[in-house]
Amino acid sequence: MDPSQNANVTSVVEGELSLASATTSFEEPASVLRRLATDHKVAIVSTVVIVLFVLGAVFAPVLTPYQYDAINLSNRLAPPSLEHLFGTDEGGRDVLTRMLYGSRVSLVIGIVPTLLSVVLGTLIGMVAGYYGGKVDTAIMRVADIVMSFPTMLLAMVVMYTLGGGTTNVFLTMVLVGWSGVARVVRAETLKLKESEYVEAARIIGVRRARIILRHILPNCLPTIIVLFTLDIPSSILTESSLSFLGMGVQPPSASWGLMVSTGREFLYYAPWLCFAPCLAIMAIVLAFNYLGDGLRDVLDPHLQSQ
Amino acid sequence: MSGSLVHNLVRRLAYAFISIVGVAALVFVLLRMVPGNPVATLLGEHADNETVERISSSLGLDQPLPVQFANYVLGALHGDFGESYTLGKPVSELIGPAFLNTLWLAIAAALVAWVVGIACGLLAAIRKGTVVDRLFMGFSLLGVSLPVFMVAMLLQYLFARYLHWLPVAGITDWTGYILPAIALGWGSAGSIARLVRSSVIEVLQQDYIDTARAKGRTNTQVLVLHALRNAMLPVITLMAMQFSGLLSGAVITETIFSINGIGRLSVQAIAGRDIPLLQGTTLLCTFVIVMGNLVADLLYNVCDPRVRKGA
Amino acid sequence: MTHSTLEVSHLYTSFFTEHGEVRAVQDVSLAVGRGQVVGIVGESGCGKSMVARSVMGLVRKPGKIVSGRILLKGRELTSLSEQELCTIRGRDISMVFQEPMTSLNPTMRVGRQVQEVVTIHEDVPKQEARRRALEALGAVGIPEVEARYDAYPHELSGGLRQRVMIAMAMVMRPRLLIADEPTTALDATVETQIIALIKQLAETGTSVLIISHNLGVIAQLADYVYVMYAGRVVERASVLDLFDHPLHPYTRGLLGAVSSLRGQSKTLQTIPGVVPNLAHLPAGCSFAPRCDRCVARCASEQPELVTVGSGHEVRCHLAKGADAV
Repeated sequence: MDPSQNANVTSVVEGELSLASATTSFEEPASVLRRLATDHKVAIVSTVVIVLFVLGAVFAPVLTPYQYDAINLSNRLAPPSLEHLFGTDEGGRDVLTRMLYGSRVSLVIGIVPTLLSVVLGTLIGMVAGYYGGKVDTAIMRVADIVMSFPTMLLAMVVMYTLGGGTTNVFLTMVLVGWSGVARVVRAETLKLKESEYVEAARIIGVRRARIILRHILPNCLPTIIVLFTLDIPSSILTESSLSFLGMGVQPPSASWGLMVSTGREFLYYAPWLCFAPCLAIMAIVLAFNYLGDGLRDVLDPHLQSQ
Repeated sequence: MSGSLVHNLVRRLAYAFISIVGVAALVFVLLRMVPGNPVATLLGEHADNETVERISSSLGLDQPLPVQFANYVLGALHGDFGESYTLGKPVSELIGPAFLNTLWLAIAAALVAWVVGIACGLLAAIRKGTVVDRLFMGFSLLGVSLPVFMVAMLLQYLFARYLHWLPVAGITDWTGYILPAIALGWGSAGSIARLVRSSVIEVLQQDYIDTARAKGRTNTQVLVLHALRNAMLPVITLMAMQFSGLLSGAVITETIFSINGIGRLSVQAIAGRDIPLLQGTTLLCTFVIVMGNLVADLLYNVCDPRVRKGA
Repeated sequence: MTHSTLEVSHLYTSFFTEHGEVRAVQDVSLAVGRGQVVGIVGESGCGKSMVARSVMGLVRKPGKIVSGRILLKGRELTSLSEQELCTIRGRDISMVFQEPMTSLNPTMRVGRQVQEVVTIHEDVPKQEARRRALEALGAVGIPEVEARYDAYPHELSGGLRQRVMIAMAMVMRPRLLIADEPTTALDATVETQIIALIKQLAETGTSVLIISHNLGVIAQLADYVYVMYAGRVVERASVLDLFDHPLHPYTRGLLGAVSSLRGQSKTLQTIPGVVPNLAHLPAGCSFAPRCDRCVARCASEQPELVTVGSGHEVRCHLAKGADAV
């Protein structure tokens, strides 16, 4: 038989296979949104909240007449008023302005390292699950070690060694974050590997890398999206905790955790310093959690809440 | 059968040991990547080179890194974690009492998390779809969404400062543990409640629940005698893992409530650039987490006959 | 006046879902006499399991018995409280489920699961309960009962598990045993053994209501057969009558599918079409859309159950008279 013809047949059959697998588990974004809108209205509200936060972060300079680092010692610790909706801090800086700029840090740290660890974890998990054997054992041992990191302490050690700052916070979070994703994706891959269409693809001679990317990855995608959405809030919490301890983002940059930390000194005279950024953290974390919950119900009913 | 059980245990212990050594090595290397000689930093600008070298060599810091690490591990196996740079005492003497404080805090927090989490999860599962369910699940999501420092400060503000019911910070008697325990246990309570709920709901749909009802068990009896044990299997694992998390993750709570535990000691160690002390606290916390995971595994084995017999 | 062990009359059971009421059981009446074995046969989704669950009072939410009477030895069950029902379930009526793999509690030793039934209904010392559980396990043919008593379900084969289920159902010597697809999950040789066991039970005076989609199982066990389709009884006859003179086109279809498998027919006979959606039943006869003898009347008018011979009833417009079907 003509080899080129054979290849042609392979790609046609494979095309049908991927079509078959795609229709079973992949959904159009529009239909996902529709199902969220009918069964999970809170998730839609959450999406709106998230979008508002992102817009606030992007257009911070337009939205506020103040500078985030403009010190005005004549107006220190002013309580909330019409000029300063959330009051001013110990340096007379507008708290709302600082929160808007701070949301840039919190959102970027919430999303970017999480995305990196999800991508890394997915790749590692699929490789471990698909190749199995020694590769799998080795990867899972390393994941075990990472899982036994006391996260906060390790982050503190990294901050101590490399110094505070956004990049180092990134690094720590990716270092710890990939292992959980890898575990889930590995389990999923193991299941998919046994499925009929992957077996069929293997029998007609599709290369391994292609099977992983074309057949396994698309079917893991719903799970991965849910994991991503639910990991963002925990990243935001970790960043704010690190900054709260003074080991994350360094002043004069504004971050919600940092603002809470400095505000704590004035907890009893100017509680708004502390609680305004706290409320922001709570709102964004809740929004992502609700969205993630809704997405899980719609995309992946089998994924347990833990 | 028991042979494979022992074999299993030995294998798990070996993995646990590898994990601990792995984390220890990572922390060891990380801490030595700090630019500059720590001894020079400690002694200040005026120390001459000779003194710095003498002290470095007496501390073994002039030896190659692998040798230093081997010495450290050997010492650690004998309970010798070196001497704190800043506090002038052996690290083991410092982390012992601190660990005890953290342990009390973790136990109190775990009590809060378990009692509140299990009760809320169970009620929500039984009243699935009702107002009670929505309310509890809303609260539990709030539980996992609030930063620890926010809960801690709110509690401090409300109960200590405003109402004067409880001490603001520090531990003089057991009342000092109440607020920190709630602050620390709050988040765990939320995640336990969510898991208990989903687990109970799933178990209640199983066929053997019908069987139990067909025997003439009342709904309450079915829940207590047949559903709970099966539903608690995944929860037990989570609880064991969370307990070690509480032990090692109390940094913020201890800082806010001024409790002299492992977390606060670590913060002090970082502030004082006290490498042996920081190494000691991270190693201890890693040990606690690894043991927590091991206990979680073993508990699951004991509670689930299907796993126990290697099926 | 003597009562049948079980008398169900005009039972309606529905599920109240977001998409409206789904009528799983409609106007079902049946009777099981003492020591009699009565079968209900039908495709999956025809409501036969819901009849069983209604009798047990185990209809799950959002399902509910809407109306009808269920009499056990003349005692009305539908008006009993949950607590009163608990004293009857397991003692007077017991049930064997389809899936022996999942119907036993995985974290409880099987002996205790049998013993439990005794302690629920009788205030006896533990030793006595254990003795009776052992006796029941022995009676259903489980070898080495003492050792098996302490086994967990996953350590037993499917056949043994189903025997444990039957021991559990029989340990209180109930008047009525309901067996819902008791052999469906088992392989053929084990199926034969379980059928023999149920037959043996019936001979000791227990009434049995057996539910199956498998006509072979029904033929071997039952004295009387009810054929159900889309929530309704469409034919009722003694087992011999039914196999010799099936009157309803649906019953004929079922029998045709069986006999073609036995090689009496060259082609495999199947019933064309699918079971209708119970939420949107056709106005007339539910079977009309699949029926090859359907006339105009079938599409508009729901047929009544009519008696055509001694103890033979059928729900079909065409069944009455000699020219029928």
